Amino acid sequence: MAPGAGLSLAAALDFGTLPSQVVNGVLNGAIYALIALGYTMVYGVLRLINFAHGEVYMLGAYTALFVSWAYGFRPDVPPDQLPESSLATLLVMMLASMAVCATVGVLIERFAYRPMRNQARISSLITAIGVSLLLQYGGGLFLPQNPPPTMNERVNPYRQTLELTLVGAPRELSQAVEAAREEFQKAERAFEERLQAEKDRFNLSPEGERLRDAKFEAERRLRDAESRLNSAQVTVRVSAGRLAILLASLALMFLLRQLVLFTPTGRAMRAVSQDFDSAALMGVNVDRIVTITFVIGSALAGAGAMMTATFLGTSITPYYGVLPGVKAFVAAVLGGIGNIPGAVLGGLLMGLAETLVIWAGYSQFADAVAFVVLIVVLLFRPGGLLGSSAVEKV
Amino acid sequence: MRARRRIPAALWAALIAGVVSVGCSGSGEAQKPSEPSEGATSGASAAVRPQPTAEGNKAEGDTLKIGIVVPINGDQKPWGDDALNGAQIALEDFNKQGGIAGKKVELVIGDSGSNTEQAKSAAEKLISDGVLGIIGDVTSSNTIQIAKSAFEKGVPVVSIGATNDDVTKQGANVFRVCYIDSFQGEVMAEFAYRDLGLRNVALLTDRKQAYSVGLSNSFRKHFEQLGGKIVGEEFYETKQTTFTGQLTNLKAKNPDGLFLSGYFPEVGPIVKSAKAAGLNVKFLGGDGWDSKEILNSGGEAIVGGFFCNHYNNKDSRPQVQHFLKRWKEKVGGEPGTTMAALGYDAMAVILDALKRCQSYDSKSLAAAIEETENFPGVTGDLTLKGQNGNPRKRALVVEVRPLPDGFVMRKAIEPKDLSQ
Amino acid sequence: MALRVRIASILAGLAGCWLLDALCRGLLRESEQRLVVLAGLYVTLAVSLNLINGIAGQFSIGHAAFYQIGAYTAGYLAFFYYGKLPLQGVPWLVAMLLLGMITAALAGLVVGLPSLRLRGDYLAIVTLGFGEIIRIVVQAIDLTAPTGEQVGGALGMNVEPRIRIIGLVWLFALTCIAVTRNLCKSSHGLALLSIREDEIASAAMGVQVPKMKVAAFMIGSAFAGGAGVLLAHSESFISPSMFPMDLSFIVLTMVVLGGSGSITGAVIAALTLFYVPEYLRGLKAPDGTALTATGASLLGWVAAVVAAVVVVRWLAYRYRGTARQRALGYLLTAVGVLVLGRLLGWGLSFLPALQQAEYEVQKLRMVIFAGSLIVIMLVRPEGVLGRHEFSWDRLARVLRRQRPKEATG
Repeated sequence: MAPGAGLSLAAALDFGTLPSQVVNGVLNGAIYALIALGYTMVYGVLRLINFAHGEVYMLGAYTALFVSWAYGFRPDVPPDQLPESSLATLLVMMLASMAVCATVGVLIERFAYRPMRNQARISSLITAIGVSLLLQYGGGLFLPQNPPPTMNERVNPYRQTLELTLVGAPRELSQAVEAAREEFQKAERAFEERLQAEKDRFNLSPEGERLRDAKFEAERRLRDAESRLNSAQVTVRVSAGRLAILLASLALMFLLRQLVLFTPTGRAMRAVSQDFDSAALMGVNVDRIVTITFVIGSALAGAGAMMTATFLGTSITPYYGVLPGVKAFVAAVLGGIGNIPGAVLGGLLMGLAETLVIWAGYSQFADAVAFVVLIVVLLFRPGGLLGSSAVEKV
Repeated sequence: MRARRRIPAALWAALIAGVVSVGCSGSGEAQKPSEPSEGATSGASAAVRPQPTAEGNKAEGDTLKIGIVVPINGDQKPWGDDALNGAQIALEDFNKQGGIAGKKVELVIGDSGSNTEQAKSAAEKLISDGVLGIIGDVTSSNTIQIAKSAFEKGVPVVSIGATNDDVTKQGANVFRVCYIDSFQGEVMAEFAYRDLGLRNVALLTDRKQAYSVGLSNSFRKHFEQLGGKIVGEEFYETKQTTFTGQLTNLKAKNPDGLFLSGYFPEVGPIVKSAKAAGLNVKFLGGDGWDSKEILNSGGEAIVGGFFCNHYNNKDSRPQVQHFLKRWKEKVGGEPGTTMAALGYDAMAVILDALKRCQSYDSKSLAAAIEETENFPGVTGDLTLKGQNGNPRKRALVVEVRPLPDGFVMRKAIEPKDLSQ
Repeated sequence: MALRVRIASILAGLAGCWLLDALCRGLLRESEQRLVVLAGLYVTLAVSLNLINGIAGQFSIGHAAFYQIGAYTAGYLAFFYYGKLPLQGVPWLVAMLLLGMITAALAGLVVGLPSLRLRGDYLAIVTLGFGEIIRIVVQAIDLTAPTGEQVGGALGMNVEPRIRIIGLVWLFALTCIAVTRNLCKSSHGLALLSIREDEIASAAMGVQVPKMKVAAFMIGSAFAGGAGVLLAHSESFISPSMFPMDLSFIVLTMVVLGGSGSITGAVIAALTLFYVPEYLRGLKAPDGTALTATGASLLGWVAAVVAAVVVVRWLAYRYRGTARQRALGYLLTAVGVLVLGRLLGWGLSFLPALQQAEYEVQKLRMVIFAGSLIVIMLVRPEGVLGRHEFSWDRLARVLRRQRPKEATG
């Protein structure tokens, strides 16, 4: 590739895809937001960047995978022998992930962070990095990773794609597509029939080659018709699974908000996050609140991990949590770390920023954009978007 | 204030004096740049690679040490473990067949830890330990490091999975058992253009992997030479989980094929996501796809995709069947990645060369490897003689079918079959 | 007198580096010489980050960025200009060293400016982000040489010629140490320390906080940049993957583990943390094969270490003895770990499942590394040396059962 070829290709912005890209951005942002909540809650209460949060997320993904295997969705099972999945299966997987993550989170807090609570904050940070490395490399020893496993797609019962046409195309175009499709199917049938007589599919006789080229020709005409149709209409496509992530994330965030605002535990949490020592003096059991914070934050990470593993289907490795962990951390800081609505806002904003940069044709810089946005925002609002940039009193 | 004036002075004095002292003691070591040779990429034409000047290692006693540098820690561990197991099986086979009379071949393991710095450390340690030759690594970036150290010491290197074109340009002591990216890019471009009739292909490249960048460039070059059009290229990075942004862009370009040059952990989800984004096109890729896991991660969407591979489990060649049987005995199941077979071949090529050695030292080992001709490896018959370290061997085009079929061999392409 | 001491120490430093160079060349194999070079670079990185992080108190976790900037400055310049200028060999390296330091210092200025507005964790994430931005941008740039060859990008680039001089690397490390140490002793250093302790109070005392903070960033990054130049020419190859986020974390760990603000601590921690994984790499059983550990002995060791951590923490909490007594306590615990680990391992080996599970120590080495990080932090949260500097006096006092004087700074 000549330098800059990728840049010139994308010089023209395509506003037809903008609505789809905005939707993509929001959907990606919802995942960042869910993980960012864990960071922000722990930070709010302990003023500690929990670097091991990404690894807790990774363990959540593995747990979901193991539960799906227990249900019979093992990779070596042929597709026709796989069991049926249902909403209940998904819920069990999610609860299991949340439970395991909550347990791990509490254990990490109890044995790695609590002993460091009265020490310099940077020491706790190093401990957090140590825990994170230990889980990554330890996971490399004990967790299945060769080849890196993926959740079977049949685990997800909602595999259809939802399509929403915002700006329709003229009827002639869609009719042209239909006509081209029929012709293509005819050519394909003719070729397939010929194939039965052929010995080797990839070394054809002249007659076979003629039919194959005719099929290619028809296929190309179909593509042309489709592309004319596509450029005339504006469509947003969303897979049901990704929509499920958004809905579930919103539900979890709503639950969290209710919990923090309207329960005694939530009130205690807010008190501890405002002033650790005074809260203790006022009779709040601080240790209990910290534990609960870790339970909730880690459980949210577990839910997020289960959903990404199931609905996005990427490979699960001991390093599964590194990139989402960093991104979510950035999202948390962007929104104002320690601030729960801020984490949600930061996550959504980051998802949008990344997708819009990709839309503009600079996908090789997509990962850097998150940080650029962050630096710019922090220069103008040093406490993040919604964070209070408290002036230090003497 | 006093101190501030003096610090820079001390610094300058120290630096200048340091240079002088080093210069005087004559220990300054500024080596001549070893210019990589220009020109030939496809191995067939004769470009001169620099000969290592160092003597290399000599065998001591009755033990012949061979080093292997593969990642057994870090994120490339799956490939490293497979390659290591493959190499160990090759050594066992060799010993079963009698080995070399009076000598014992020992495989010394070095961990490249999935990064270039440690790959170099591991290689240098092995060379200091007196290995005659080195096998490794599974990736191009790590192999280049190993090759540099080995070149300085005159120790031959047989790479397992470094497909980047530039790797073997490091010196005449560097070999590999896999084909190179410009070859597999050409194979897939030809296949896409002639056998699949594609004309407008889009590329999706893993910007973090030198392998992926190189393969995409090679595909682009050959596909455009054939008269096809690359309608767009987008990038992602290893370990990203969402690709919808890139795919929505590519969908708007209306391609009839999508070339995915990355590794299978990302390719599977990309293909699924592409289908969901409405990209009903042919998916193509390189040997980075090779793992049973892609059937799972790609789900129903990956079925019907084609990729270029080194070997195929269903191949009836006796070497393949023997290898699979031995793997089942020793490791169990089937190899997860193609690196297993390549690791076996890399070790087997070195052992075969050792047998033909007149004396047991690095120099004659390198010469013997260079003489390898029509060696019946698991991944095909390979010839290294006069090929500048890049074996002349076939590549397979493999179609992805649903389980229980899995990967089905569609076409074996020999270098001479290509039109250019 | 002061001048004489200074000259003497400069001469001693030069002589020491020359001697080290000569010794390494004479005694070490080349692979080990390279490790000595890398160790020197890590020392430079740790000490320079210590200036920003430990002494000025600015929370920076993106030090790899400056290292990378230095390395790529040298890489690009060597690619386009080496051989075209009258500079060759060592003078070229020194010129690059200065240029790399200047470039990195300018980058330090760019990162230092936000530090005027940001505090603590916010600054940390900005430095982290800066590191990632640099890595991604370098990865996305392909340059075309006059010969038509492609360089840069994900594959990395060759840096010709290779110039590896152990003496110069260590001289640079020593310079970094000297500059940091002298800075600490000067009024400027005291100003930095006061910023670390309380920014507002020090501003009230007339310290020019913004200027000092940015200066600390620039000096620290300049040395990291210089180390990058030396790395590029010593390895004669650079790629973006050599400067991951983890590298920043490891350097930060060296600083904190040695004791934030302690220069000698940073040096000791850098050497140890660099050496431990390399040592574990080479471990061999008596018969020459790679050393393995059974699940039983592994579990035994883990249990013993956990027990030791509990005991040490309990001792530190309940019992404040003299330094000598504490040192004795640590020693006894160490012996205890050895005995208990063996005993438990032996006891557990009767469980067949644990006895059969075998792990190669090579594969365990990064786990051991991470585990020891946590253990050290739990046992000594303030770092091995705390905020003190290592000194023979102090060691002697500990051994002569005197109470150490209260530490200063």
